[in-house]
Amino acid sequence: MIKLENVSKSFDGGKSFAVKDLSLEVHDGETLVLLGTSGSGKTTTLRMINRLIDPTEGLISVDGRNVMDQNPVMLRRSMGYVFQGIGLFPHLTAERNIRTVLSLLGWPKRKQKERVRELLELVDLDPLAYGKRLPCELSGGQQQRVGVARALAGSPKYLLMDEPFGALDAITRDVLQQQLLEIQEKTEVTVVFVTHDILEALTVACRIAVLNEGHLEQIETAERIVSNPQTAFVQEMFAKPTAQLKHFERLL
Amino acid sequence: MNQFLQLFVDRWSEIMARTGEHFVLTGLSTLIATLVGIPVGIIAQRIKRLRHWLVAFVNLFQTIPSLAMLAILLVVMGKIGVAPALLALVLYALLPIVRNTITGLNQVSPDINEAGRGIGMTAGQLLWRVQFPLAFPVIMAGVRTATVVGVGIATLSAFIGAGGLGQFINRGLATYNTNLILLGAIPAAILALAADGCLSLAEHSLRPTPFNERHKLRYRLKPIFVTLPVILFASGMLLVVVPRVIDDDPAANSEAVIKIGTKNFTEQLILGELMAQLIEDHTDLRVERRFNLGGTMICHNSLIRGEIDLYAEYTGTALTAILNKSATNDPDVAYDRVTDAYHNQYDLIWLKPFGFDNTYTITVRQAAANEYNWNTIDDLVPDAPQLHAGFTSEFMEREDGYPGLKEVYRIDFGKVSDLEPSLMYDALAKGQVDVICGFATDGRIVRYDLKPLEDNMEFFPPYEAAPVIRRELLNAYPELRSILERLDGRLDNATMQQLNSRVDQGQMDIQTVVRDFLIEMSMVSEDQNEEYR
Repeated sequence: MIKLENVSKSFDGGKSFAVKDLSLEVHDGETLVLLGTSGSGKTTTLRMINRLIDPTEGLISVDGRNVMDQNPVMLRRSMGYVFQGIGLFPHLTAERNIRTVLSLLGWPKRKQKERVRELLELVDLDPLAYGKRLPCELSGGQQQRVGVARALAGSPKYLLMDEPFGALDAITRDVLQQQLLEIQEKTEVTVVFVTHDILEALTVACRIAVLNEGHLEQIETAERIVSNPQTAFVQEMFAKPTAQLKHFERLL
Repeated sequence: MNQFLQLFVDRWSEIMARTGEHFVLTGLSTLIATLVGIPVGIIAQRIKRLRHWLVAFVNLFQTIPSLAMLAILLVVMGKIGVAPALLALVLYALLPIVRNTITGLNQVSPDINEAGRGIGMTAGQLLWRVQFPLAFPVIMAGVRTATVVGVGIATLSAFIGAGGLGQFINRGLATYNTNLILLGAIPAAILALAADGCLSLAEHSLRPTPFNERHKLRYRLKPIFVTLPVILFASGMLLVVVPRVIDDDPAANSEAVIKIGTKNFTEQLILGELMAQLIEDHTDLRVERRFNLGGTMICHNSLIRGEIDLYAEYTGTALTAILNKSATNDPDVAYDRVTDAYHNQYDLIWLKPFGFDNTYTITVRQAAANEYNWNTIDDLVPDAPQLHAGFTSEFMEREDGYPGLKEVYRIDFGKVSDLEPSLMYDALAKGQVDVICGFATDGRIVRYDLKPLEDNMEFFPPYEAAPVIRRELLNAYPELRSILERLDGRLDNATMQQLNSRVDQGQMDIQTVVRDFLIEMSMVSEDQNEEYR
C-alpha cells in the first residue's frame, strides 16, 4: 500500500504550491487514476512516489516504509515507471531497452533473454519481429508497449504510469487500455495512473482521485464518482463528457 | 611536374619514414587528448561552476600561435624532439574534444535523462549507458576535428626536431624549393583526409544499425570499420618503432653520435651539412643531423641542454641575441668576447670562424639605387618616409636590427612589414617592398640585381660564422677541433653566396653542393668520395 499524508510540494520555496496538503491511499492490486487538468499537480504527485521529486512537507510511505528513508535509486528500481511521451532509449533496440532494467536489477544474462521474450509476448509484440528493432523503427503504439514491458520487467509490485497513452491515436489507445486491464489481471500489479482524459480514467480505474490546483477534490470508485460527485468542480468535470455522449447517442 | 615526380620517386623511402613519424605524432597526440579531453568534458558538463574555467583554460592553448607554443614548451621541458611536439599537439587537440563532449552531453533530451533516472539508474549508469552513447557522434566529430587540425600543426613539429612531414616543408621553405614543400604538403593532406574518413567510418559503424539495414554489406563489414583506426594506428606505430628498435642494437649505441643542429635557412643547412661531412669523412663517429630547428634560441637552448652537440653561430647574433651585450664593429673583439663569455657562462667552445661575415645589409633594387643615387644608408634617410620596408621578424626586435638602426641613422621608414626571410628578396625584386634587411651572403643579391647599401656609420656588428661545440664533447674527441677548423677561413663571402645560390636558385641537393665544394677545396680524397656516394 502507498500512503500519502498531508503531502505538499512547492518549487519556489513556499510562495506557491504544486501540491497542497494531499492525503490518499493506493490499495494493493487496484488501479488508482490521478485525474486532473494540466497544472493540477497529478504528475508531481506521481513523481514524489518514487522520489524523482522530494516532497516539501508531509509523509509518503510504501508498504509502511517512509520513502525518504530509502535510497532513491533502489526505490525507483523496485517500481515500474511508464513515461509521458516515450522514454525509450533511442540508441538501444526494444530488447536492450527492456534488458537495461533487468541488468540494473542484477539478473544473469541468460535469464534476461527469457524474461524479455515473456514480456514482449505479454504486451502482444512478436519477440522475433520486434525485439531487435530500434525505437525509431516502431510505431507509437509499439513503442509504448515496449515502454510498458520495460516497466514490468522486474515484476514490480507497483507500476507508475504518467499519461502513458497521451500521444497515441484513439484506436491504439483503446487497444492498449484494454491490454493494461488484462495485464493487471494477470500480474496483480498495483497501478497509479495519471491522465487528464476522463474516458480513459473511467476505462482503466478502480478508483479515481480528482485533483484540482494541487488539492484533492474527491477520491471514489469510478461508478460512484460519476453518480455522486461531491464538489461543484467534480460535477462540472463529468458533466461535459456526459453531454458529449448524449450528443453522440443522438447522432446514432 | 616531371621534376616533382622524379623527386617523389627518389625520396620515396624518406617520404614513407616521415609519413610514419607524422602519423605517430598525430595519432598519439589525438589519442592522449581524447583520453584526457573526454573526462574533462564530462566533468565540465556536470559541474557548471567548473565549466567556465575549464573551457577558458583549453581555449587559452588554442590562442597560442603554434610556433610560440613549441618554443615555450621547449624551454619548459628543456628538450627538443618528440616530447614537446607531442605535448603541444595534445594541448591543441583538447579544445575540440572537450567542447564537443560538453555539447554532445548537453543535447541529450531531458526526457531521456528523466527516463534513465526513473527506471533507477545511478548518475554513473545514466552517463555510461545513456548519455555517453547518445553524445558519441558529436564527441567523435570533435575527435575528427582534432585529428585533422593535428595533422596540420604536426608539420610545425619539425622546427624542434620531432621529424614528420614538416621536415620537407621546412626545408622547402628554407631553400626556396616548391617541389620539396609539396613533397611534405601532399602526403600531409592525404593523411588528414584518410584519418578523417577512417574515423568517420568507424563512428558511423558504432551507431546502432536499423533492423532493415542489417543484411547490407556495410553491416557485415562493421567490425572492420570499427577497428580500422586501431589497425592503422598500430601499423603506423610499427612502421616507426620497429626500424628504430632494430637500429638501436647495442653495438650501434656504443658508437658515439655527434648531434649537429642548424637553424632553418639555407646557409645554416649548408654549414651543418659541411660539418657533418667533415666529421664523417675524417672520423669514425656517427653524425645525427638535427637540422632545421626553429631559430637562434631553440638552437642555443638545445646546445646547452645537450640535445645537440654542435651548430654554427654568428658572432653578432651571439653577442646581442644570446649574451645581451652591446655589439661591437671590430670582428676580432666580437669573436674574443663571445669566446670568453660562452666558455665561462655556458661551457661552450667557439672554434675558428669559417671565413665569411654574414652581416645584415640594408638592400635596395640596383635600378632604384641608380635612379635616386643611393650608395650608403645615409643616402636613404631623406627618402625613408616614402619607402616600404620588409624586414624579418627577428630584425624588427633585435637591438642590432631595426630599433638600433633607427637610433643611429635617425631613419624612419614610412611602412614596415614583417616578412619571412626566404620571401624577402622576391618581394624586393618584384617591387612589393623597397628596402629589405638582406644577408650579405645570400645568393639572391647578385641574381636579382640588388644593391646592398654601405653601412657608413658602421652600425651592423660583424656576423662571422663559426662552429660552437660543447666543451665536454670536444674534450672527449679533441680531434674534432682540427677537423672543423680545416677550412681555415677559406669560406669567404663570395664562396658562401655561391653555395647558397646553388641550393636556392640552382635547386641542388644540399649534400651534393657540400660534397662538390669539399672536392673543389681538395679537402676530401677521391676514394673517400667514392665511399661516400
